[in-house]
Amino acid sequence: MIVQRAIEAAGIPTIIIAALPPVAKQQGSPRVSAPLVPMGANVGEPHNVAMQTGVLKDTLKALETIDSFGKIVPLPYEYKAKV
Amino acid sequence: MKLSVVKGLQSEIFVPITPPAVWTAMSKPVKECRVAFLTAGGVHLKSQKPFALAGDFSFREIPSDTHADELMVTHGGYDNGDVNKDINAMMPIDRLRELAAEGVIGEVSPRLIGFMGGGGNVKKFEDETGPDIAKVLKEDKVDIALLTAG
Repeated sequence: MIVQRAIEAAGIPTIIIAALPPVAKQQGSPRVSAPLVPMGANVGEPHNVAMQTGVLKDTLKALETIDSFGKIVPLPYEYKAKV
Repeated sequence: MKLSVVKGLQSEIFVPITPPAVWTAMSKPVKECRVAFLTAGGVHLKSQKPFALAGDFSFREIPSDTHADELMVTHGGYDNGDVNKDINAMMPIDRLRELAAEGVIGEVSPRLIGFMGGGGNVKKFEDETGPDIAKVLKEDKVDIALLTAG
């Protein structure tokens, strides 16, 4: 989130794909997309090309639509790691 | 009725404060943008120096034409199981190239960035690592940046 804020401050719009969206928001992330994923698979299930592509496309869409600081856009993808 | 019984009374519970807003508006559609990707998940080239697990505020530049097999993870702060199976779960280097080929994004920026998030030296990240990474992105004329972390 610190790095994201530094990039945003340098004049580049940013969005973070977060497994822990409330933490991202609390730490001052400008834009957050939030698929239902565990830490370590933020873009989606390993080798699930359709899910990963979907998460990225929807995140890019969120980057275009979020209109104010600190908004979280929930994404309709779910992956639970087998622990 | 008096609402404050004891003046200046404070809770002993630490409440984190969200830092001030920082915002850059989009200036062009995503399909025309040069896109950078960064991960705090400790991704780096196998040929690069691994991160120090005890706290490391350095970052690694990853050429965006790198083959996914040449990447690995060094990060002690989360379960690396998924990302070890498929680096794209945190640093979606193959997906980005597909999105560029499909025309969803303009192009992938020449340098992608890996670092080890999850605490460490916050001041170093604020004063050095963050601005240094932003400088790389500015040099590469990046239009938008996506990140995975948290």
